[in-house]
Amino acid sequence: MRFLAHLHRIDRRWLYVATLVLMLVPFVKPLTLPAGHVSRTTRAAFELIDSCPPDKVVIIDSSWDAGSQAENRAQLEAVVAHLCRRKIKFIVTSLGVTPLGPDFARDIIRPQVERAGYEYGRDWVQLGFVQGVAGALGPVIDRFSRDLWGLYPRDIHNTPVEQLPLMQAVRRGADAHALCCFTYAPVYEWISFANAQYGLRLVFGCMTIMCPAYYPYIDSGQLAGMLVGNVGAAEYEALNGTAGRGTRLGVPAAFGNGAVIAAAVLGNIGLWAERRARRAAA
Amino acid sequence: MTDTPVIWLAAFVTVVVFSYALKDSYIYRLVQHATLGATVGVTVVVTWKQVLLPRWWAPIWAAAQGTAIDPATSRPDYGGLLWLLALIPGLLWYFQLSKKWFWLSTLITGLFVGTAAGLAFKNQILLIMPQLAASIKPLNPFVRPDPALLYGPAWPEPGTPAAWAAALNNALFLAALLATLFYFFFSVRTDHRFLQAPRRFGRLAIMVCLGAMFGSTVMTRMAYLLDRLMFLSHDWWQEQVLVLLPRVWGGG
Repeated sequence: MRFLAHLHRIDRRWLYVATLVLMLVPFVKPLTLPAGHVSRTTRAAFELIDSCPPDKVVIIDSSWDAGSQAENRAQLEAVVAHLCRRKIKFIVTSLGVTPLGPDFARDIIRPQVERAGYEYGRDWVQLGFVQGVAGALGPVIDRFSRDLWGLYPRDIHNTPVEQLPLMQAVRRGADAHALCCFTYAPVYEWISFANAQYGLRLVFGCMTIMCPAYYPYIDSGQLAGMLVGNVGAAEYEALNGTAGRGTRLGVPAAFGNGAVIAAAVLGNIGLWAERRARRAAA
Repeated sequence: MTDTPVIWLAAFVTVVVFSYALKDSYIYRLVQHATLGATVGVTVVVTWKQVLLPRWWAPIWAAAQGTAIDPATSRPDYGGLLWLLALIPGLLWYFQLSKKWFWLSTLITGLFVGTAAGLAFKNQILLIMPQLAASIKPLNPFVRPDPALLYGPAWPEPGTPAAWAAALNNALFLAALLATLFYFFFSVRTDHRFLQAPRRFGRLAIMVCLGAMFGSTVMTRMAYLLDRLMFLSHDWWQEQVLVLLPRVWGGG
């Protein structure tokens, strides 16, 4: 019992070291875990994008930078891999969150579209960054939905959008088959303006910490699908039959989460033993 | 190899930041301030290059030089000069720095607050109304609900175990919803012993929600750590150290 009571008093720095060592193991010796259950939100996102007809496009709003690349990067990689495999045409935007968004997106997208033989302007287009006020992106998203050409008169290479063949079919954001927004916390204006007013179907790719805020919108049908952190990316890759960054990060994440759960259980056992010992002594 | 110095610098900064877990140090604080400064600098440059230059300054400059052409009339278009007017509301913000002229800044502040309030009103209506409708869920496992009134996944075949499970799930949702709302109901006394149970259940539902949020917070922090570990192990160790060291030692 005395030994158990010590579990409650382990220096937390030892727990940090133990967690770090466990998470490093898969980097030293690569391990794989069996593909587990795919969540309803990821499956819905995959099926929505997979059902894109040949005459439609998917819009990707990639509004992340170094601050949230830990999870948004794997999500964007997974969805672009799917789009390239299915030869679905797509447009990339970066609305209002970070001016670094287009650069981070281009670094991820360019190698994949080059491998897939996509031609810029015909199969994919990057429109760049549009400034917006954080928390008040409503007017920007409203214009995006009803007048994409007006919001983006030129693409990121300064080419007028009317000269890009792909843009002929998409004068409004609402003309797209679906929109996938990858950022730390997608703004609610996507739901209230793009979806509620213009009927654009939405997929959110957010950091895990933000997902509890969006689940109610999945239940109500306001969101068509959602990728939750790296787990969502790994699930998406499993559906797509690829093994990218999400899958690679899944194993060390499982080790790390296991260490945290073990520490919580051991700490509680220690607390229980300490109280029991104190009661026995009294 | 052009990225080599950047990767080595990023690896150094990453290790220094991690060192804070052991002890605060002068070099940690130096790196912290340098990172903040670099972030602000990069954001200013990128905002100018990607936003202000192409969308604000370029139309003004083209109109001033007479190189902007109206496609309808093929004559010079001087409309771009109107973008200069954007300077007026923009400069009003800076009157916050003056005690005498502070009132001028309230014009632009009021405009922004009013706009934001109007947008928030519309945003909340469009956001919350479907939520209210979706919170009305079928509870009878023997009846197929009208699909037009059903939100979320399709309802299972009536009378099947799946329909029972869906009905129970909806009943639990409804109980948690009402109990949570009741927990925050302060207009009447709720300390009667018959009202304690729903209050307790409401608190339990809130705790479950907060627990899920805390769990997702831990997972996000883990993802941040993993991102850096992956950078150190792959981009730096495997692609830099293991490639460069044999060349240095082997003289290749």
